[in-house]
Amino acid sequence: MSRLKEVYNWFERRLQLEGPIKEAALHPVPRNTASWWYVFGSAAMTLLMLQIATGILLAIIYVPSGGEAWKTLDQLNHQLYLGWFLRAMHGWGSNFMVAVVLIHMAQVFMFGAYKFPRELTWILGVFLLLMTLGMAFTGQVLRFDQDAYWGLGIGASIVSRVPLIGGPLVHLLLGGPIIAGATLSRFFALHVFVIPGLMLLFAGLHVWMVLKLGINEWPMPGRVVRRETYIQEYNEMAHKDGVPFVPDALWKDLFFSAGILVAVAVCALLFGPYGPGGQPDPTIIQTAPKPDFFFLWLFAVLSYLPPEMETPFVLIAPAIGILVLLALPFVAGVGEKSWHRRPVAVLVLITVAVSWGIFTHLGVHTPWSPVMDAWSGDPLPQKLVHSETALERQGAVVFQAKQCRNCHSVGGLGGQRGPALDDVATRLTEDQLIRQVLQGGGNMPAYGKNLSPPEVNALVRFLETLKPANRPAAVDASQEAQAQLGK
Amino acid sequence: MNARQFLSGAFLLASLVLTAGCERFPGYPHPGSEAMRPDEVTDFSRLYSQNCSACHGADGQYGPAIALANPEYQAIVDDNTLRSVIANGEQGTLMPAFAQSAGGMLTDAQIDALVKGLRQRWARSGYLQGADVPPYKTDKQGDAAHGQQVFQAYCSRCHVTGTQPLNTGGKTKTSSITDGSYLALISDQSLRAIIIAGRPDLGHPDWRNAQPGHAMSDQEVTDLVAWMASQRQQTPGQPYPAQDETGRGKKL
Repeated sequence: MSRLKEVYNWFERRLQLEGPIKEAALHPVPRNTASWWYVFGSAAMTLLMLQIATGILLAIIYVPSGGEAWKTLDQLNHQLYLGWFLRAMHGWGSNFMVAVVLIHMAQVFMFGAYKFPRELTWILGVFLLLMTLGMAFTGQVLRFDQDAYWGLGIGASIVSRVPLIGGPLVHLLLGGPIIAGATLSRFFALHVFVIPGLMLLFAGLHVWMVLKLGINEWPMPGRVVRRETYIQEYNEMAHKDGVPFVPDALWKDLFFSAGILVAVAVCALLFGPYGPGGQPDPTIIQTAPKPDFFFLWLFAVLSYLPPEMETPFVLIAPAIGILVLLALPFVAGVGEKSWHRRPVAVLVLITVAVSWGIFTHLGVHTPWSPVMDAWSGDPLPQKLVHSETALERQGAVVFQAKQCRNCHSVGGLGGQRGPALDDVATRLTEDQLIRQVLQGGGNMPAYGKNLSPPEVNALVRFLETLKPANRPAAVDASQEAQAQLGK
Repeated sequence: MNARQFLSGAFLLASLVLTAGCERFPGYPHPGSEAMRPDEVTDFSRLYSQNCSACHGADGQYGPAIALANPEYQAIVDDNTLRSVIANGEQGTLMPAFAQSAGGMLTDAQIDALVKGLRQRWARSGYLQGADVPPYKTDKQGDAAHGQQVFQAYCSRCHVTGTQPLNTGGKTKTSSITDGSYLALISDQSLRAIIIAGRPDLGHPDWRNAQPGHAMSDQEVTDLVAWMASQRQQTPGQPYPAQDETGRGKKL
């Protein structure tokens, strides 16, 4: 017997792990579960490991203090060899993890895998999803830049709306009344110790149950889950038409996980690390913060909600959502697993996915904010300036100096909160322009009190020049009537 | 693809990252790519394009406000005036104050950087040296009556006054430079600057070329400004003048 074997035996006699590991590795699983649809759970686990490994390396450099955090990120990006790549891997790893966990959950839901006897596996999974999102949010805070600062501000403002204990809760969350060094320490502790610790525990139990209860069989229409008979049926299926978990099912997991890691690396190389954006200083007002992609939908929803709906929505909707997810295996714990026989489940999933996609799209593309420096930064197209009269040219100065450009684009530059004004003269007559400027309307504020009569006059003269040469200026009914009279 | 191929692919990727120099990847964050504090930016091009180009034009020309890429203008205006106008705005015009001390967003260092950049980019050293240039500022009182004659002599070839129409390529506009609204939005000092420096980008001549071969004198410029100032109205910018007897509003 070789020396190696002796050492192995010495340990094995004391640890006695060979038996359980062999049993776990070789336990039979239904042949049809060795499918490409079953790889997302293990990919999520792989990503968790990647996040832990890259996270530990980042934690060696990162200093969770208000004054240092941004500098250490800058140092990672520019001064440490491959520091940027490490940050990029961790950032993209987080994106992939949220995505893979969501896909895993959708797949489990579609396959009815949450049904008896895997209720607890699902419930732990729901908590794992919440923790993944928690990791994403706390991680976004640790990237202590303007997005982090304002994202935290929104988080604190949501928490502050909890009745009665809102104030103390904010205090607890931020470690004081304001976002400061104490806040960052708290989020560091959450991101590095509390949530990952819980995650590892929950993920361990989650995997343990998968091993003990077996991988969910491929759902077939008509194969109905009954509490009395399911376990026996499953065991029969696994033994009669089963394959050992290693290697028959595992190789696809390994392959997919490796693919995911390569995808993370490619994204990291191509798109680089996330920020850090501008420094997290609330006195810097030249900023339009946005959350990372997994919270963009929430950003869009909150923007569209009427103000009176905000508090009920942010406090009640998440609670209901989580309760629904937790209650799911108890409400629909038995019965059909196949999507062919579960139209409601299919519709729910499609609705959620489509809404999520739409809100995320809106979050990305809606011009939420005026372009605050368009008035001083975006030049006017040359031809507009060239042909103007003195008053019209002065009107162009009014147009810029009074910041109309922040909401209205001309020549493709400027804000998009209001309509582009390239052809406004074909739509509004002089009188209508004056009225619109003075009184506002249609989401535009009234500028009557902020502009002097000469400014309005000059501005409207300039706006009247904004039309393509080949199109007639707008004419209203009274002008038409006057023209008729003149004839 | 078998496992060996896959592994060698991954190895190749990893060795690429480690050896080929990580700066070559598009994801590599280049120094300075992080957003600076806005009040730490002292790069002229960036400051100019964020704060000035909307009114003064992308390259200091073709903007609705006075052209800065105009060597005549750069020759008559001094650093202190430039600095003070940027910092505190120009009284009687729409030029806003940019200094933090005056409610703007720029620090003194940024304003200095702008003045320096404007000079470096658009001033020509020694330009107009020896020429009889009317000074940028004057304390002299102008003679408005003589100013009107100056207008007739130098300006009326292109500019009109009152309600005379201006023919712009088949279309008639009233482009009066004595329009009440126009005069309400421009100061005497700005009028003086633009008469002297012209708008070469828009084809408007400077003080030497308004009447070819005969430059305007300091006194003539002063008188012209005085005459234009005398044309200012008490309540300018009323689009609908008092109704006439028929009860029908008449536009200017």
